[in-house]
Amino acid sequence: MNGFSTPLFYIVAAIVIIPAVLMVSFRNLIYSAVAMIVSFTGVAIVFITLNAELLAAAQLLIYVGAISILILFAIMLTKQRSGEIQLFFHRQAWAALPAAVILAAVLGVVLGRGRYNYAPRPQNPATAQLSRLLFNQYALPFELVSLVLLVAIAGAILLAKREKRR
Amino acid sequence: MKAVVLLIPLLPLVSFVFTGLLGRRYLKEKSHYASVAAVAISWLLSMYVFIQVERGQTLSWQIYSWIAVGHFSVDIGFLVDELTAIMLLVVATVGFMVHVYSIGYMHGDKGYYRFFAYINLFMFSMFMLVLANNYLLLYVFWEAVGLCSYLLIAFWFPKVSASNAGMKAFLVNRVGDFGFSLGIMLIFVTLGTLSYSGVFAAAGGLSGGMVTAICLLLFTGAVGKSAQFPLHVWLPDAMEGPTPVSSLIHAATMVNAGVYMVARSNPLFAHSHTAMLVVAIIGTFTAIFAATIAMVQTDIKKVLAYSTVSQLGYMFMALGVGAWTAAMFHLLVHGFFKGLLFLCSGSVIHAMGGEQDMLKMGGLRKKIKITYWTFLIGALALSGFPGLSGFFSKDAVLAGAFDGGYYYFWIVAVITVFLTAFYSFRLIFLTFFNEPRDARLFAHAHESPWVMTVPLIVLAVPTVGAGLLLGVPPESGHIDHLLHGVFAAAIHAPAHEFGLLSASLMAFSAAVGIAGILLAWHFYLRCPWLPAKACKRSGRLYTLLLNKYYIDEIYFAVIINPVRRFSGWLWRIVDTGVIDGAVNGAGWLAVGAGRAFRPIQSGKIQGYLFAMMLGLLALLAVYLILTL
Amino acid sequence: MTPLQYYLALAAALFAVGAWGVVARRNIILVVMCLELMLNAVNIALAAFSNYSAIGPGRGEVFVFIVLAVAAAEVAVGLAIGIAMYRLRERLDVDELDDLKG
Repeated sequence: MNGFSTPLFYIVAAIVIIPAVLMVSFRNLIYSAVAMIVSFTGVAIVFITLNAELLAAAQLLIYVGAISILILFAIMLTKQRSGEIQLFFHRQAWAALPAAVILAAVLGVVLGRGRYNYAPRPQNPATAQLSRLLFNQYALPFELVSLVLLVAIAGAILLAKREKRR
Repeated sequence: MKAVVLLIPLLPLVSFVFTGLLGRRYLKEKSHYASVAAVAISWLLSMYVFIQVERGQTLSWQIYSWIAVGHFSVDIGFLVDELTAIMLLVVATVGFMVHVYSIGYMHGDKGYYRFFAYINLFMFSMFMLVLANNYLLLYVFWEAVGLCSYLLIAFWFPKVSASNAGMKAFLVNRVGDFGFSLGIMLIFVTLGTLSYSGVFAAAGGLSGGMVTAICLLLFTGAVGKSAQFPLHVWLPDAMEGPTPVSSLIHAATMVNAGVYMVARSNPLFAHSHTAMLVVAIIGTFTAIFAATIAMVQTDIKKVLAYSTVSQLGYMFMALGVGAWTAAMFHLLVHGFFKGLLFLCSGSVIHAMGGEQDMLKMGGLRKKIKITYWTFLIGALALSGFPGLSGFFSKDAVLAGAFDGGYYYFWIVAVITVFLTAFYSFRLIFLTFFNEPRDARLFAHAHESPWVMTVPLIVLAVPTVGAGLLLGVPPESGHIDHLLHGVFAAAIHAPAHEFGLLSASLMAFSAAVGIAGILLAWHFYLRCPWLPAKACKRSGRLYTLLLNKYYIDEIYFAVIINPVRRFSGWLWRIVDTGVIDGAVNGAGWLAVGAGRAFRPIQSGKIQGYLFAMMLGLLALLAVYLILTL
Repeated sequence: MTPLQYYLALAAALFAVGAWGVVARRNIILVVMCLELMLNAVNIALAAFSNYSAIGPGRGEVFVFIVLAVAAAEVAVGLAIGIAMYRLRERLDVDELDDLKG
């Protein structure tokens, strides 16, 4: 995907950012979830423009597939019985918006000003090479992460389990 | 060889962990299985090592680098040479016998498993102390055996006197160990190494004053551990512990650690005439000083305890006058016969149902035959009766003093021989002869079970034979050849021939010993009314001896009470006023500050998150401004 | 080739949107969703660095994979907490969880 043109990048960026902003703004949680799915899909496209096809696939599988469904289930399981909350936004939301804008600006400036050592051509390797990296040099962190997942799942089950009536 | 040496200390350690962890719940009366087996194997391996060393195979082995900082490095390593082999022989043999004996002696005790766990820990520590190849490792296990000694003296801790005795032993040893640790630090500061080989190689380059300072500080440690004057006060009190402990720790092994340490440091001491002289003076003084106290004590174990102090004094005198080999020879032999004597006394106490006062015994000869005969052999050896082991070793010490030209020391030592013979046989006659003084106890008296009498018989063998085997001919016997290499740096004069002078000295000291026995016979068998009369006649002197020269009282008046008063003052003024004030003030400050800042902790998670976000912003802003 | 800075700017913007959502919304499930947005922003930055950096091709991508796994774990636990909270209080307002207030 060498020479990916800048105008196209703007379109992809819009697919990521606009649904994200909408997600935070919607009052209905289901709408928010759908906006989130769109945004995640946009991130997958960003990965493709970065030569990271495997990442894009994983993004679609894990975020768009698994996590989104999980969140939708959670939303449905917790339908507000005592009516909607009156305030969707927190009291400090008015202060948070400018703070977030400034954060974006400052982060952008700080990141943009860095002097980076550019590679002449895209560096993200092919899938085979990536897997070799993942299962040789980074085998230990990989296994550790699997352990973390296992513990998290056990913990989640314990937390969400209905407590026995005494 | 390496594996064997490693196993010797390791087996008791494993058994300690095993017995200590499982004893209370599961092993109970079977607690001795593992510990006796472990020590038995250690004993066999020690014999093997001794034979190997005798054939000239020594071992110097760095196992593991324990501390390595810059130029400073301490290794855990073993040094097995002739000196170590002799110590191993004593420790393992007496240790094994005491373990077997304890099965009978401690039978039915509530802390049965605890006893065997502690005594295994002691065996481990003592083996490590002897095997260590540097001063720091020596020091570590020097403290470890001290700890075991404390635990075992205070073994019957519900008894106030026992726990106090344990504490006393610990505190008095602290004084000596403080000096010892300073000595080790001084060695490190001046020589930059702590391994034996490194220190001894570099010792020649030190100034005379520095060597003397190091030696005296090291000797301070030995004075504490080996109960020499003025730090001897803990050993008689240590008799509160079970008798096997007194035999193993406070007669045959741990108290010898001081002698061993000085003997090990012989290349250092050889450079300092002053330090040697101090060692000789302290040793000689302690020998006669403790012997005089032993003459009047009536507690069977106290007599033996003072006897041990006195005999250790002999060893130090030998070290001080340069008779290194004689000191080690006496250590070896004394370990056997004093261990035997203590075990015998334990058997007597067992027979008398816990009674330790000799004035309530008497006539036991017919009732407990095995104990009587072994006790007699031990007492004869202690008195230096010709032919028995103690005769040869004691004579080697005396000859060393005489040959070195230390005639005053020799005279004092000969007087001590006389006193030693007297109190040994006073003990024998009071306990085993005459009519029983307490009919009820006598009627109850019975011989100990075989697990207790067999160790007595086994230990009686080296008590009789070790002298003939190792010490003949005098001054060039087997032990002299064995230890020649170890003390090569320290012995200057070549061993001279055993001549007429030496023979007559030998005969003289034997005669003195027999005279002591005869005097005891005269006092306690022939004219039993004499002692009371003599006591009345000597009046003040007798009271002085009975109260052990009032040393404990002097310590109380001069050190302990002033310290107590000073501590009381510190407590009332400094502690409650200044320190408590500061602590309470800090507490109030914290409470006030907490009250002031409490509203910030609202518990609202998103409030915290917002604060984090603002903090991140601030950090980035600072970064931006700094790199502008 | 689109310059690296473009991707970084996108990551910064997405991160800020997520942060805003975390701080501004009261519903605990939406807070978890916004956390996911922030993680995605970081993933974009990592993948971009990986693609443009002259040293060690693919290292950044490995990181992204690990982040993905941890994010999955985090969502599972976060939503479990949300459900537990709902069962306990019948509400999803984050401000309800203030038992640790001083």
